[in-house]
Amino acid sequence: MLFRRIYQFLIVYCLGLVGLLGIKQALGLSDYVIPGVSLILSTFGRVSGGYFLDVLNTLSVTIFGQIISIAMAFTVGILGRKSSWAGSFIKVMAYNIQAYPIVALAPIIFILLGDGFLSRLLIASMICYFPLLLSVLGVMAVPVKDIEHFYIATGRMRWQLEVKIRAFENLSKLTTVIAGSATLAMAGTIVAEFIAANAGIGYSIRIALYQSDLAGILTALFYIGIIISVYQGMLETLGELVKTKWSAPKGGELL
Amino acid sequence: MSVKPWVYRQWSAAILVIFVLFCVSPVRAEAIKLNYRLKWLFNTSVAGDILAADQGYFKAAGLDVTVKEGSPEKNAINELELGYADFGVASADQVIRALDKGADVVVLAQLFQVNPMQWIYRADRPEIKMLEDLKGRHIGITFGGNDETIMRTLLARAGLGEKDVRLSGVRFDFTPFLKKKVDVWPVYKNSQGVILADQLSREGEAVYFFNPSQFGVNFVANSIVTSGKMIQTHPERVKIFLKALLSAWEAAMDPLNEAQVLASVKKKDTQTPDDIQQKQLAATRQLIKPDKGIRIGVIDVGAWKQTETIMLNEHQIKGPVGIASRLIGPEGL
Repeated sequence: MLFRRIYQFLIVYCLGLVGLLGIKQALGLSDYVIPGVSLILSTFGRVSGGYFLDVLNTLSVTIFGQIISIAMAFTVGILGRKSSWAGSFIKVMAYNIQAYPIVALAPIIFILLGDGFLSRLLIASMICYFPLLLSVLGVMAVPVKDIEHFYIATGRMRWQLEVKIRAFENLSKLTTVIAGSATLAMAGTIVAEFIAANAGIGYSIRIALYQSDLAGILTALFYIGIIISVYQGMLETLGELVKTKWSAPKGGELL
Repeated sequence: MSVKPWVYRQWSAAILVIFVLFCVSPVRAEAIKLNYRLKWLFNTSVAGDILAADQGYFKAAGLDVTVKEGSPEKNAINELELGYADFGVASADQVIRALDKGADVVVLAQLFQVNPMQWIYRADRPEIKMLEDLKGRHIGITFGGNDETIMRTLLARAGLGEKDVRLSGVRFDFTPFLKKKVDVWPVYKNSQGVILADQLSREGEAVYFFNPSQFGVNFVANSIVTSGKMIQTHPERVKIFLKALLSAWEAAMDPLNEAQVLASVKKKDTQTPDDIQQKQLAATRQLIKPDKGIRIGVIDVGAWKQTETIMLNEHQIKGPVGIASRLIGPEGL
């Protein structure tokens, strides 16, 4: 799965690059608008070491941000799963907070928290959190009637059990969403770095943009793509492991 | 009932007369459509560009020019090459970088005779009278921006290394300067500089501006550019455009026209308070036309060559681009 992710990314990246070079040739554009192969390669050689470390820096924030957003989404999703007043209030509050575009809130965050690690972490979590929340709410708010009825009828139903049943029945959906949210967390971190941070690959892209260095931006995109593919592949593998462990026919444990 | 032949003749003659009048009428002459991409948002620092469109300078020259705002993401030179713009505003570093990468760009006129990119600092701190006075200061720079190139050149001239000063990356948020976390802050003197100076003066604080050109570093700022192809294929169009635009700039920088200029700017920049805009216009005047004898648009070839040398020394370009050969200037058309 991991290798498939990487070569799929490489195919997409190469197709995009060939497309760009095709446009360059067709329109007779200079290296300033679209860099040629030699400039891309020389830029790659010049900046790749620094950019690789920048992407790792961004990834570290991404991972923390994703963990926070998963925790937040599950907390809100579990609290808001009931059709009670409190549940509906939590859902409305969560939706309303998300109604503000993060880019509009980002300057306030940077003024209050500065342009360091915390701001990037918060913005990454905020961008990643909402799609996760929608999925978690979708899973947690729908009862698994066949199974839950038995526990309710026998008076053994507790909220922890309810959450476990619903999570187990939708495990495949949840693991897919969590793996997919990695790209959102990465995108969130890069957006934060691009807007105002002083580290990470988003910040390097901003500098490259100041200098109209498209070759530098293409190098950054390459590293972002590779690293996020590896990270997502690892999450998917982990998801498969969890599913196997929880699946009784494959020797896993029953709930 | 049959129509008599003379009726046909009369109608045919009338239609012919109307057709001839329609063809030769001056009203029929269509204005040439052009796109002009600025470097930054509409504000007082582009007063001449706003005036040219708003007060009919382009129209009077037979041009229908769409003046478009710029931003860090919108690059006039890219747009010239892609055909989205016919003319644009670019800074010298953008022009030199573009030439280094094979772009076909020429400079028609230099708008700012003094670079508005300067550094602001509080007057309660020692005045920077010599470059050596930068030692020990906490200086803000935009990493990757031309202020970084300028500051590194100044530091090199002063024989100061990174250990002698503290450099911090800055963005559009002034908070670190206002909170006194950063001592010397980069600003565009005629826009942000005015706002910051005004804000601090309300709190009883005076400011100084550190101007690199006073220390021999003349890094050229905004200039009007077009493509070499445009000059070759439509030299007359270029001439008409530039003449109209520079006339508008001359009018915009004339203190006698201040009210009219501010009214035109206000239509585009509705957010900035009137008193600030007035101060910004006065500050812009000093940078565009620092001396009454200077004709707006004149190219300071020496400053351009120095900019190229600085960029070479800072490894911003691979090799010399021969910038002098790409400077046309208003008198070269």
